[in-house]
Amino acid sequence: MNTVALESVSKIFQQRAFFSRTVREETHALKDVSLELAQSEVVGLLGPNGSGKSTTLKLVSTVLLPDRGRVTIEKFDTRLHGPAVRKRVGFALASERSFFPRLTARENLEFFAALDDVHRSDCHDRVESALNHVGLCDAAEKQVMKLSSGMHQRLGIARALLKKPSVLLLDEPSRSLDLAAAAQLWDLIRDLATIGMSILIATHNFAEAAEVCDRVAVLQKGSLIATSRTRHLSDRQLREFYLTLIGEQDLIAWNEEVPA
Amino acid sequence: MIFAKAAAVLKKDILTSVRYRSGFFLKLVSPALQLATFYYLARAVGPQFRPDGMPYVVFLIVGTGFYTFLVAGIHSFLQTIQDSQQTGTLEVLMTTSTPTTTLLLLSALSSFAGNLLQFVVYVGSGILLFAPAVNISVSAAAAVLVLSLLVAIAFGLFAAGLQVSIHKGSAVLWLLGSCAWLMAGTLFPVAALPRPVRFLSALLPFTHSLAGLRIAIFQADNSAALFRELESLFLFSSVLLPLAIFFFSWTVRRARQRGSLSFY
Repeated sequence: MNTVALESVSKIFQQRAFFSRTVREETHALKDVSLELAQSEVVGLLGPNGSGKSTTLKLVSTVLLPDRGRVTIEKFDTRLHGPAVRKRVGFALASERSFFPRLTARENLEFFAALDDVHRSDCHDRVESALNHVGLCDAAEKQVMKLSSGMHQRLGIARALLKKPSVLLLDEPSRSLDLAAAAQLWDLIRDLATIGMSILIATHNFAEAAEVCDRVAVLQKGSLIATSRTRHLSDRQLREFYLTLIGEQDLIAWNEEVPA
Repeated sequence: MIFAKAAAVLKKDILTSVRYRSGFFLKLVSPALQLATFYYLARAVGPQFRPDGMPYVVFLIVGTGFYTFLVAGIHSFLQTIQDSQQTGTLEVLMTTSTPTTTLLLLSALSSFAGNLLQFVVYVGSGILLFAPAVNISVSAAAAVLVLSLLVAIAFGLFAAGLQVSIHKGSAVLWLLGSCAWLMAGTLFPVAALPRPVRFLSALLPFTHSLAGLRIAIFQADNSAALFRELESLFLFSSVLLPLAIFFFSWTVRRARQRGSLSFY
């Protein structure tokens, strides 16, 4: 059974005045995209900047609503059943600025746990377990404004895990992480998939995609141009596949990451 | 579960407030300075000026104290949205299991609780210092407070909705605050205004909040006047609150559709 399903989803960003019907500018962020995630599956979204990766994650998390098509999480439509979807989806944003800077890492997690209906008696254990998962136990009592970029990143993932979601959305999860922390994160992603979580990752990192994803979906200018299984593919093979797809073969020789 | 959420919001706000040490200290000091200012202002005007039959200094303290309480409360709705847009927490908050309107109400109520404490200390010490023999009707004062709070929540939701949709909630709040400062009887009695402005003043809920509270504190036996003010406040709150909840929910849904939630 599919946990996540995007069916012919389109998202258009329109710029217009508050009560005006005249559209000043229109950006087609996603065009007729269909994609499914099975339970325990890890799917990577690859694509240059502005290709629609983050928009896809935001549509699944209900931060955005689709203009056409529909997005369902375990049969719950994001447009009709927002609260039910939000109970099931954990979202780790790419942005560092998503915490209360004067509160400690633990205090931030306790606050978000309460908003996610984690019962007070479970709260301590959930927070401890989330901190442990991302290797932040030693920094738990530090104010968030004193944490490094990589620690922010890991704290964002810890927050997404608090509600024990069935779907985890990760926006560039290994950005700002050193190699050891990235390897630890990839282990965590595989472990979470093993216990039944479906995981959708927007990434620019081919090593990450080859290492943790079961499948990759390639987006270009809002369109889904291909999906491919990643089993037996090295990160180099994946990079060649991707660059050929988007018509940038010239970059194969020297570029290690997805070109902007 | 809602109490656990309210406690979490309150804890977050208290910790944040205490950790901005200089701001916290100024919040404690400024009411004392304001009391002193009004005392000397009333002394300069002279003891013969007794608006609504009460000493001018007490008129000022009740007027400015309640005005500040209500406007700060309304502002807290806007502030919650602005802060979460600027700190980048808005999108994350909207992916939690707590509905946006509930979250905003909890944040604002936490701020109202802090402002209420400040208001009680400010007005209480003003009355103790300058009119200790006064006979307050606590139940009437509480009724005025609750109805005024509902009206303030409605205005707060309107301001927050405008912030989400046009990112200019503060301009509307500034206009409302300025009108109330001039016309609601904050610094001087409404009777001093020209007749057409007095008519506009009657359309402002703040006018009835201030008048109702002053009656509850100084003329508690004038039940007809008190009832009139409570009736007006009840009417304002029962019309404005449902409209405001609808408006705010609509602006959030519209922002989700347009992808403009985190714009500011």
